[in-house]
Amino acid sequence: MSLVPGFGIVRGMALTLRRFFEPKVTHLYPEDPADIPHKFRGRLQLLYDEWGTLKCETCFQCAQACPIECIDMGGVDTKGRFAIHWGASETYGERREESALRRSGRTVPDAIYEHFPAIDLAPVDALLEEYDHDPKQMLAILEGIQAAYGHVPVAALQRVSQTTGAWYAMLYGTATFYGHLHVGAASDMTAGDAAARDTADRDTRPASAEGVGASDAAYLGALSAALGDRGHAQHGTSGAAGSIGPAGPA
Amino acid sequence: MTTLSRTFGRLTPPGKILFTLIPMMAVLSVGLVAAIVILGGPLVDFLAANLPLVRFVVAATVVLLMTIPTAFLIIFMEMKVIALMNLRYGPDRVGPFGSLLSVVHGLKVLMKEDFTPTGVDALVFTWAPVVVYMASVMTLLVLPFAPGLFGQDFNIGLLYFFAMGGLGVVGLLMAGWASFNKYSLLGGLRSAAQVVSYEIPLTLSVVGIILLSGSMSLNQITLDQSGSLFDWYVFRQPLAFVIFFIAATAEANRTPFDLTEADSEIVAGFATEYSGMRFGFFFFAEYVNVFIVAGLTVALFFGGWNAPFNWPWPIAANLDPASMGIGLLFAIALVPVVGVLVLGLPFYLLNSRLPFWQALVIGFVLFNLVAVAALLGLAVLSLNWVVGLLWFMLKTYAFVFTFVWLRGTLPRVRIDQLMGFAWKWLLPASLLNLFVTALAIILVHPQ
Repeated sequence: MSLVPGFGIVRGMALTLRRFFEPKVTHLYPEDPADIPHKFRGRLQLLYDEWGTLKCETCFQCAQACPIECIDMGGVDTKGRFAIHWGASETYGERREESALRRSGRTVPDAIYEHFPAIDLAPVDALLEEYDHDPKQMLAILEGIQAAYGHVPVAALQRVSQTTGAWYAMLYGTATFYGHLHVGAASDMTAGDAAARDTADRDTRPASAEGVGASDAAYLGALSAALGDRGHAQHGTSGAAGSIGPAGPA
Repeated sequence: MTTLSRTFGRLTPPGKILFTLIPMMAVLSVGLVAAIVILGGPLVDFLAANLPLVRFVVAATVVLLMTIPTAFLIIFMEMKVIALMNLRYGPDRVGPFGSLLSVVHGLKVLMKEDFTPTGVDALVFTWAPVVVYMASVMTLLVLPFAPGLFGQDFNIGLLYFFAMGGLGVVGLLMAGWASFNKYSLLGGLRSAAQVVSYEIPLTLSVVGIILLSGSMSLNQITLDQSGSLFDWYVFRQPLAFVIFFIAATAEANRTPFDLTEADSEIVAGFATEYSGMRFGFFFFAEYVNVFIVAGLTVALFFGGWNAPFNWPWPIAANLDPASMGIGLLFAIALVPVVGVLVLGLPFYLLNSRLPFWQALVIGFVLFNLVAVAALLGLAVLSLNWVVGLLWFMLKTYAFVFTFVWLRGTLPRVRIDQLMGFAWKWLLPASLLNLFVTALAIILVHPQ
């Protein structure tokens, strides 16, 4: 109750007049589509065919393609054969297949270049700093890498993809498109070696503990050599910190 | 003959239309010219001899025709403004900004079945909407739209206005009674009680103005307010204005006093048994009433067609088309063509992808806009009543907007609150206003 009679009416009128000029909440749907997130794919739902059978073939492509790994599959497939629960999402990465990865827009591990020799990526980082991590300068970056290494190593491509945000597939496509860029061509690994490594890999994978192929051994050696300094350095610092007290944030 | 019919059959539909239309137009225009030449003189003499009659017939026709677009416009305003106040868009599909939706509503109502229930008093049932509508239209006759632009300048204009406004109650009672339905009858009685109750403070609040002006002619009252903003009666009779506005809201059956047909609560009051265009007439009358009440408020309290400040116009435009002689004919023939070309060519030259005919269409539309604007500007400059009409319409639609705004804001009152407010507050307040005004007049201007 206000002291002035009719003041409530004035306040109400002011409110409606304010509303009159405010932006409207109605969505004019066909002309103005709803503003949904780019990666929104609608409600997750399994579809049935006209005979009432579940269409899902439990191929796990959806679970593998899901970019935020929110799909967790469990249950029985269409033939009633498997009772599957696909375990913790942390282990999805181990079961990623190439096609699923490609659909999800991530870097696809190339079967040939999977075991690339570890290289020093400092020139790549310097180049990226120079070009300000700008994906638009991709060709110049790739040419710089070619100049630094004599070829374009896959590790460098992956580093570029990780730091600039450009898709690995696009980088790979660009690098293989231009004739003057040699993707891994000047590697110390020949094509024959790679093929042998591949077959050996495929055969020995179930029993990888005892049957490590020659090329795998070379790769592991190179990897440990490359990681050696860093691992030792980390160990040293943690030890030094431990002697003083609990390690604080560096 | 067969050749002619075969040739006609080969024409495209527009060709067929033109082929029949052009000779008809030629014959008709020749006939019109002949009729004017032969009958023109005596006809003009006859009309001049009966000028008041002619004036009345023309005014009644114009006023009757004017109500239709007015009602459509106010219905559209109501839909759109309330929607915008509800954070909706409202009608936006038919016509520019949905402005033709009310026309579509009118057509819809026109096409519905005009149903007469069993047991109704058919004659009264049919005439009730007409009475309601005519009561609204007839009040428009005395409303001064502009200097010299009114139906009739009665010296009892205001009295006539309220008498005609009261006639609407008869229509409502007729509708309620003839419907042969106890709910309709109750609705009719309810409306009658409301309208009659509010008629009293409405009329009493205006008596102060009649005392001040010394006249009941709406035209004279408007003339008394000429001058600046502070000559308007709203500054001399503020209480009367408040009472008048509230009572007029109830009189026009507007929210918060729209118990007569409270759309969201009761069935439809007196209009329960009505359908089709007969039902439409009630609503047409309601929206015409909104315009009338707003117009009356403007005429009584807000200076009518007077500008709120000393308007420097009319400036006599020194343009005499007749002085151009034969050049006028050339101008009439050439100006549209040249105008279309001049306005369309820049689009053609600047946009290389635009076909020439589209540039011509753009030029044509632009030329029409420019021509209409120029004519309107000329009319405003040289004709007194155009400015007056524009001011009157501006003020009136501001009040129409206020009525719609009230409807978008206020909840409905209860019937006992409605009646109690009229008799316990508005009537004493209007009497007080009347006595104070009379006392002030005696004190300021003693006999």
